[in-house]
Amino acid sequence: MSDAGMKVLALLTDGFGAAGGIARYNQDFITALAVSPAVRAVSALPRHGAAQAETPARVAQHAPAGRVAWSAHALRLAASERFDVVFCGHLRAAPLAAAVAGLARAPLWLQAHGVEAWARPGAAVRRAAARAALVTCVSRRTRERLLRWCDIEPARVCVLPNTLGARFTPGPASRAARERLGLGDAAVILTVGRLDSAERYKGHDRVIAALPRILRDRPDALYVVAGEGGDRARLERLARDANVAGRVRFVGRVADDDLPDLYRAARVFAMPSEGEGFGIVFLEAAACGAAVVAGAGDGAADALADGAFGVRVDPHDQAALAAAVLAGLNGAGRDGTGAAQRFAFSRFAQHVDHLVTHRI
Amino acid sequence: MCGIAGVHAYHYAANPVDGAELAAMSARMAARGPDGAGCWTDGAARIGLAHRRLAIIDPSAEADQPMASADGRLVVVFNGEIYNHAELRAELIAKGHVFRTRSDTEVLLHLYAERGVDMVHALRGMFAFAMWDARENTLTLARDPYGIKPLYYSDDGWTVRFASQVKALLAGGALSRDPDPAGAVGFLLFGSVPEPFTMYRAIRAVPAGAVVRVDRAGAGPARRYHAIAQVWRDGAASTAPDAEDRIRAALRDSARAHLVSDVPVGAFLSAGVDSGALVGLMRDAGARDIATVTIGFEEFAGARDDETAIASEVARHYATDHATRIVTRAEFETDLPRILDAMDQPTIDGVNTWFVAKAARERGLKVAVSGVGGDELFGGYPSFRTLPRWVRACAAPGRAPLLGRALRSALAPFAAALGLHPKAAGMVEYGGDYAGAWLLQRGLFMPWELEKHLARDIVAEGLRRLKPLALIDSVLRPRPRSAFARVASLESALYLRNQLLRDADWAGMAHGLEIRTPLVDSVLLHGVAASGWRGQGAKRLLAEAPSRPLPAAVRARAKTGFATPVGQWIAAPDLPARGGPRRGWARGWSKRIIANAGGAWAAQVR
Repeated sequence: MSDAGMKVLALLTDGFGAAGGIARYNQDFITALAVSPAVRAVSALPRHGAAQAETPARVAQHAPAGRVAWSAHALRLAASERFDVVFCGHLRAAPLAAAVAGLARAPLWLQAHGVEAWARPGAAVRRAAARAALVTCVSRRTRERLLRWCDIEPARVCVLPNTLGARFTPGPASRAARERLGLGDAAVILTVGRLDSAERYKGHDRVIAALPRILRDRPDALYVVAGEGGDRARLERLARDANVAGRVRFVGRVADDDLPDLYRAARVFAMPSEGEGFGIVFLEAAACGAAVVAGAGDGAADALADGAFGVRVDPHDQAALAAAVLAGLNGAGRDGTGAAQRFAFSRFAQHVDHLVTHRI
Repeated sequence: MCGIAGVHAYHYAANPVDGAELAAMSARMAARGPDGAGCWTDGAARIGLAHRRLAIIDPSAEADQPMASADGRLVVVFNGEIYNHAELRAELIAKGHVFRTRSDTEVLLHLYAERGVDMVHALRGMFAFAMWDARENTLTLARDPYGIKPLYYSDDGWTVRFASQVKALLAGGALSRDPDPAGAVGFLLFGSVPEPFTMYRAIRAVPAGAVVRVDRAGAGPARRYHAIAQVWRDGAASTAPDAEDRIRAALRDSARAHLVSDVPVGAFLSAGVDSGALVGLMRDAGARDIATVTIGFEEFAGARDDETAIASEVARHYATDHATRIVTRAEFETDLPRILDAMDQPTIDGVNTWFVAKAARERGLKVAVSGVGGDELFGGYPSFRTLPRWVRACAAPGRAPLLGRALRSALAPFAAALGLHPKAAGMVEYGGDYAGAWLLQRGLFMPWELEKHLARDIVAEGLRRLKPLALIDSVLRPRPRSAFARVASLESALYLRNQLLRDADWAGMAHGLEIRTPLVDSVLLHGVAASGWRGQGAKRLLAEAPSRPLPAAVRARAKTGFATPVGQWIAAPDLPARGGPRRGWARGWSKRIIANAGGAWAAQVR
């Protein structure tokens, strides 16, 4: 390990060994950071993650800790070791990160994902965010929303999109996977996402409501809902009430390794959401060959590259949603190879290198 | 002199440049460049540049834009004039550069290749340009020191777009029209939208005297390379004994430099000293058969406020080819829709310039010299006397906590009954420092009046983003030492820049007329600031600068000032041209303008 290059302290909510979208993003980001020639070492301090997680070279992950211990650990590290950059992986932790950066006399790099950065946060977060040397946002939408409340020079707010894992490629769905899920020969409409009763913005209920219309033209359509959460019972009831329970299948949480096959089994990936920061699932689905239908008002514009990789509809326009899903079922718009190339990890890593070299 | 636009998909995730979007942006600026239109996109469609040409230097097709360097590394689009392009070209040729055209545009390419972004320091003139450097993968946006030529840009996180006009950026169709409360609040405070804000959140101005670089992560911070206050401060040490001689020499030099052209250069002539002296200086610099234009108004024919007689006398004095153009109320009303369409951002002024530019163009002129900027450089405004007086008087009471605010709250409701201007109530609160005093002097509405015209939350948000006093104060960094230099910096970097020069741009360019401003020139500013002059006898100095001085009658009459009936026409037919609250008409007009500024704003104004 050479002495040249920067040493980064990364405060993360979810680190290596944790699951979920933000964990995935953090892992990709830290991996990219560690391969930048400008970076000597990364010290990751996660709230959640595995104590003995495997990490890339030049990355050391401290054991996950509860909020108080985590904060104390961060401050202690900043006081005892020299860091050149403090990265903060979640806006909620910005006030702590700003204090840590102040103590370390290092510039603060703040990451904003989705809805947490859209509404005007409390004064402590606003003050901390305004002091950041760099804020990266997963999408243009998140950047625009953040700039509404944050008194920061727009030049210090850049977009760093999610990146797509190499395993998401087109191909025939494995027969075994189809059988396991009981899909038969149905024309599958898929949604992948948490069924959180607090996060009803994803639009499962809107797809269910559009199903009768869709089934009129395509009786072989089957809506597969992947993901788990407290909203499931409500959605099941909605399907019953709409007399489409037989054409909706709740398959629960799907293991990461099984996701590509699930996407390949789908003709259409539909998630008419109102609150995606970026919507990595759209990209994953497109890269596996599904036609993609997303909401028109959120960060999905970025995952779909303004329509290059899928269709965006007004989430509340049921007729438009049904029409877009039907068009997908009937074979429109299923070339996702461009999506995979555009959001490849190599490009993400080059961008991270540029940011750490020129914008910090 | 032209219009420029471009789209740069800098981010790896961004879609390629859409040629139709670029074409739409360019088409919105057709009036800026009637002599040609050009468009260039790189092979991968990551960048596209567009240009509308008004051909003035090297009008040949070889000088068309976008223009690329011989090796293909650099491509530039440029709006403006580089007055020292011949000197720069000679230096560059001596260093081995080979030129293909006689244009100043090509000088930019070679100079950038030689010096990189630092080249802006070598330029004398008015300019806004975008330079694409394929080797470094950067786009450089730059603007002249005073901000004579406009340049706006938008960065959505993936793609940067720029254009000479806000309306051209919007015409591309890709930008959010989300209104910026800072723009509306700024307009109601100042009468024009203060840069870097615009009426839209998505659009910002490249600040005057600054460079913005766009790399693969987007538009970086605006880096200032020139500050008017700095020039005044640096010049303050000079105690040269021959100040007036130096200033006269600097004026002659500027007039000479501003004649560089391959087409005839005319002049706007008012009854004032500034424009008259410039015509005299143009004669001294060798200009023959200068075409001059004055506008007159029916309402004033033969009256005290009629400028046309004195302007004609100046024209005879310098033997110009003079024309007086009468403007009527009917013509104003006919032109008003076109005026509002050409007005790029809300402003309470520019109508006079519209008509004088129209008159110049009717005479076949492509280029006209204007005397704008003389008052800011030579202390022609009352603010040069009032501001230092107010600051002295109010500095002590202004420091008493809350006294100013209490006085204002108590007085404001009764201002009208007491026969006071609504602004007078804020004297103690604002008058104690230069930023506050300037706002009192120049402000259209005062901050406490805004809620009468805009919703409370818009006012709060606008003031928070705008930070008006900090914005005003920022043009006094570093702080000039003399009161004169402070007021000169404020008036030049705020009123001249955001109001007069911007109005000259849209009102002139709408007619395809280039307006040149020899009294707004970084070299002249430096000459005056470093001359050791202490701000005395400015008008005499100007009047005597030509080898054949202005007639004494002109100098005597010009002191009392002139009015125009435009205020009466636009807002308040019942108001007299003089009397009533200062710029009383402008207050009504401003609300009409802001309501005209786009769908989102119409609903916001009360």
